[in-house]
Amino acid sequence: MTTCTGRVWKFGDDVHGDDGIIEFSIIRDSFGKEFDEDALRAMCFRRMRPEFAQLVRRGDIIVGGRNFAHHNHVEVSVALRASGIAVVVVESCDSGFLRRALNHGLPVMICPDIHAAVQDGEALSADPATGLVTLPDGRILRAKPFSERMVQIWQAGGSIPLLEREFAARRAAAGR
Amino acid sequence: MTAPQTIAQKIIAAHCGRAAVEVGDYVTVTPDYTACQELFWPGHKRNLERIGVDRIPRPDKAVMVIDHSTSAAMGSPHHETHRTLRDWCAQQGIENFFGPGNGLRHLVLTERGFARPGTLIFSDEGNIASIGALGALNLPISTEVIVAIIQDENWIAVPPSARITLTGQLGFGVTARDLIQTILRDCTADGRLLQCCVEFEGPGLASLSLDDRQTVLASLFHSGAYTGIMAPDAAVLDYVRARDAGRPWQVVRADPGAAYMTELTYDLSAIQPMVTLPPDAHGGVPVEQAAGQRIDQATIGYCSNGRLDDLREAARLLRGRRIASHVTLYVTPGSRGVYVEASREGILGDLAEAGATILAPGCTTCWGYQGVLNANEVLISTQQFNYQGRNGDRTSRVFLAGPAVVAASAIAGAIADPRPLLAETAA
Repeated sequence: MTTCTGRVWKFGDDVHGDDGIIEFSIIRDSFGKEFDEDALRAMCFRRMRPEFAQLVRRGDIIVGGRNFAHHNHVEVSVALRASGIAVVVVESCDSGFLRRALNHGLPVMICPDIHAAVQDGEALSADPATGLVTLPDGRILRAKPFSERMVQIWQAGGSIPLLEREFAARRAAAGR
Repeated sequence: MTAPQTIAQKIIAAHCGRAAVEVGDYVTVTPDYTACQELFWPGHKRNLERIGVDRIPRPDKAVMVIDHSTSAAMGSPHHETHRTLRDWCAQQGIENFFGPGNGLRHLVLTERGFARPGTLIFSDEGNIASIGALGALNLPISTEVIVAIIQDENWIAVPPSARITLTGQLGFGVTARDLIQTILRDCTADGRLLQCCVEFEGPGLASLSLDDRQTVLASLFHSGAYTGIMAPDAAVLDYVRARDAGRPWQVVRADPGAAYMTELTYDLSAIQPMVTLPPDAHGGVPVEQAAGQRIDQATIGYCSNGRLDDLREAARLLRGRRIASHVTLYVTPGSRGVYVEASREGILGDLAEAGATILAPGCTTCWGYQGVLNANEVLISTQQFNYQGRNGDRTSRVFLAGPAVVAASAIAGAIADPRPLLAETAA
């Protein structure tokens, strides 16, 4: 089952990752430590939507405009995932955001025309494996479908959990 | 019959065992090298232990560089990182470990012959596109560098390409940083380079030094471009031959008729000295519009402008002059090689005499590790970022410029056009 259905939090164009979705200046000194997911969740969208941290629910969906999350360190992706976001659907974003997010188990779909097609608070369905995005009125938009490997990474919760599983299976097969 | 291919498509195809790839294809590529810095090493190390990796398959392909935290400061955790990274590299048989003071990955890759025409290099940052000046393709994959090191491969989406043709020559007092600031001003807001590999070509390219070309590519990612590359010319081939130590490479050129998402032309002679206003990396304006803004700190160096030509440009202005008494000036050579050569040329002495503090090769002040700003302080820098809080207090402000504008501003104590001073120097 690869379809995510959830409530939309809608944002506009050019949302800054480090200085918008999170506040990088606060976490700069935490490089190298385990991610402080509670702190990242608490600061997520704090300046743009102060109610976000309190009201976001597991399975909610972010819809963004063009150039979403530009200038993002990996903590941006971790903050979104830790907030319970199931999928991010945007008009456009840089490749780095897509990679970092998927690496941490959060799928980002690039779906031109999504921004005008859905309103804040509405329900949306999005399937990274097929690229199909189903709007509240039943219309369907098409994003590029994930490759098989990308779906595996997403479903495993990220690149590292997937490698953990694969290495464990390899060790088991080798009988050690 | 395959469609004509861009440089990026050809290099990617050659590294995934296909004759050709299409834009948007998801393919798994095997890199020539994977370059990794130390800041995220504690996380990488935990992941290696979690996964249970005993031996990495290709230790010869890992290029591990300590550049962000050169000289670990008291109270920071970085000294432990330096130790454990060094030990892990020794245990894995990784010979390409470069400890504190060797400089930035960007310059280690070029100066030591890793980046060669046609090579594909995974790295953790988009600004390492600077190696594209040698015809090498940087594919930034952030913290996933450890995945590439564990598997000797990783997935990528084949990027679309854009093409920027350069004509003419930069005018008096104008630097490559001014060019890239102009490109960012024009091409960021509308996203026309988003996700692209930007190919630079044209007669103007030959007029830029190899250092200048790396400056242009290092800041390209602010536009949302994925990476950038330039077809090698004779100057590049000479540079590479002097460093390849017999390792293979192949010049890759785009096919005639290859498809580009965007095609632009810049006349270098029309570029003016620029200053990028906070807080956006694409907020470039001609220097006149920012001139007179009082500054507290000025900094020169980094992957953007830490090469020998940049220090020469700064020295051209600072030699025989003094910086304003209320200004602190930090200069950071990009690598040990740059440090040595700048020292031999007398540049470091001239800069120090003018009032500059020379820092050890690395990222130093660029990410706020050193030179932290207080409330309301103003910095002009050749660094990469100017968003609020990058270098300290959120009310401090960061203006970005090339080494000539930064040096002239340090002397004036306020943002200044370098051309009058340069004219005086030349006279």
